[in-house]
Amino acid sequence: MRAGPSQEEIRRQNLGALLRQVHVHGAVSRAELTNALGLNRSTIGALTADLAAAGLVREELPKETGRAGRPSLVVRAESERIFVYALLIGVDRLVAARIGLGGEILDRRERQRGRGEFVASDVITPLAEFVNEMHRKAPEESTCVGTGVAVAGIVRREDGLVRLGPMIGWVNEPLGTALHEVLAMDAPTYVGNDADLGALAEHIRGAGTDSDNIIYLSGDVGIGGGIIAGGRPVAGHGGYGGEVGHMVVNPNGKPCICGARGCWMTEVGEHALLAAADRQGIGREGILAVVDAANRGDALAQAAVRDVGDWLGFGVANLVNIFNPETVIFGGTLRDLYLAGAAQVRSRLNRNGLPACREHVRLRTPGLGDDSSLIGAAELAFQRLLADPLDVGAPATQPAESTV
Amino acid sequence: MTATPILEMRGIDKSFGPVQVLRQVDFTANAGEVTALVGDNGAGKSTLVKCVGGIYPIDSGDYLFDGKPVTVHSPRDASSLGVEIVYQDLALCENLDIVQNMFLGRERTRGIVLDEPTMEKMASETLDRLSVRTVKSIRQLVASLSGGQRQTVAIAKAVLWNSKVVILDEPTAALGVAQTAQVLELVRQLADNGLAVVLISHNMNDVFAVADQIACLYLGRMAAQVKATDVTYSQVVELITAGRSGDLGLQAAAVAAAGNGNGSHDAGVTDLGDMNGAQ
Repeated sequence: MRAGPSQEEIRRQNLGALLRQVHVHGAVSRAELTNALGLNRSTIGALTADLAAAGLVREELPKETGRAGRPSLVVRAESERIFVYALLIGVDRLVAARIGLGGEILDRRERQRGRGEFVASDVITPLAEFVNEMHRKAPEESTCVGTGVAVAGIVRREDGLVRLGPMIGWVNEPLGTALHEVLAMDAPTYVGNDADLGALAEHIRGAGTDSDNIIYLSGDVGIGGGIIAGGRPVAGHGGYGGEVGHMVVNPNGKPCICGARGCWMTEVGEHALLAAADRQGIGREGILAVVDAANRGDALAQAAVRDVGDWLGFGVANLVNIFNPETVIFGGTLRDLYLAGAAQVRSRLNRNGLPACREHVRLRTPGLGDDSSLIGAAELAFQRLLADPLDVGAPATQPAESTV
Repeated sequence: MTATPILEMRGIDKSFGPVQVLRQVDFTANAGEVTALVGDNGAGKSTLVKCVGGIYPIDSGDYLFDGKPVTVHSPRDASSLGVEIVYQDLALCENLDIVQNMFLGRERTRGIVLDEPTMEKMASETLDRLSVRTVKSIRQLVASLSGGQRQTVAIAKAVLWNSKVVILDEPTAALGVAQTAQVLELVRQLADNGLAVVLISHNMNDVFAVADQIACLYLGRMAAQVKATDVTYSQVVELITAGRSGDLGLQAAAVAAAGNGNGSHDAGVTDLGDMNGAQ
């Protein structure tokens, strides 16, 4: 039998838990920390002092409590000093942001790009430019503790190799390593699937904060899924799981780019809606134009919205039966499809979902709007710091070996 | 679900002269939930809401708030309980800015002057709490706002006063697609913040997009109040248009009685075409 954790391990664990609390919930008083972590006051005081010495948090007097007695100090994350870069490679946009500890977006750059396939260097160069621009504007005494990248593709967890990015035409693209070289930073670079990261962000800060079983669906041209079960991300053996868009719902359906027939994304994606409504268009504008036409009485558009809503419901019902989630979140363009076709989605779910599995399921749109995956990328980059704050937080005293 | 409903109406009757508009209507709204109130034109939705809001006195029945019986004689009684209604016309003044509108008639004062900083702070805190990102400045005139933004201001005005129940009358009726989506998210946000929200709507998509419960009125009777996780679109349409759907809703005798009793309403044909078109 293994001996219990050492005191040092427990201390690191507690430091991480405290920093996570401040990171997620914003400024927290020492008294609230005592309650939330179940540690006694003096332990909280010592842990806070350690984190403050490492420059991760600072303590302030609260503005006014309106109550008698000495006010408990408020612990606040050093958002300006400790930050990460979050990058998003979407089907039609590139976003880069500098996000401080505590989740505040300090700076951001965005560029639309045309649809279609492209080589990795086409995105690495502009993203690196964005990062360098923001880096020059960042205060001198601030520290970058990592870079997180969200990409619409199947990503190998260890090294950020994009195994397959069907919508952008990538096969085995070493995105993580390439970006890390170009950015030339000590801090590590992590790459994740955009839907997985969307689920992570919505769980921490968005529409899923009060549930531990979440399915986040992200829609653009294809459909991705991020699944959190029992509070933990479900990504499978290699991290490739959650490809709900390739769940076959209609074996006699249209051919999918993956080679199969009748995948979910062929029935509910943007192309399916536009084709059914016999319209041209692209992205959110294209979808909204169809919904608008349906509201104004265009019969073809109404039928298209109804059909797509029904198919959306089929897939959601399957997922609800398998995972019994509390919250299903419709992100990206699925937000607009869900809101336009909710009657069909709900009806199909209520017909096909098992009563026990569906009775408490909530259907929601993202609490973080279009930024879920971007913020998820930041959370991915913060994970190492939150796991072991002192090891990462004080790079001045902990030289290069702290990079993974 | 076992918790006491924040608002409960039991066996409400209401007549205008010889016309009985509400018959033995039961209706509940729970905190943290959106309860959709649906029904055909003339089914009694507005009357029920006006009874809740204290505009019409009820003839008989019980009005329970947070489990306790209360009497509501005027809109002032209702708002002191924490019931606010946002009407379709929104009742905003175009020549005033957002803060002035939100505090209209209930301005904060310090001494004899208006306490502008506090009002501004409260207004922007309320908008933040609702995650409203669409309004640039709270000192903008309402005349310069879009339909969706106006709806947002009207809703924010209703929740500013620590309200517990907010009733929204057709909040998306006059809006475009993108703004409808924003208002629906706002409605959901209100309930997720812990309010009881009552949503009157003719649009089944809006109802299914945000509602936890659906209450269907049929010719002055409550056909059924059901959980949104238990019914389908076509069942709700049947409840609205026929008062029953399978085991749900009024039984045959009651449906006939409702049809005969409501003299002012032509019970024969209900506008099913419109319901389908609403999506």
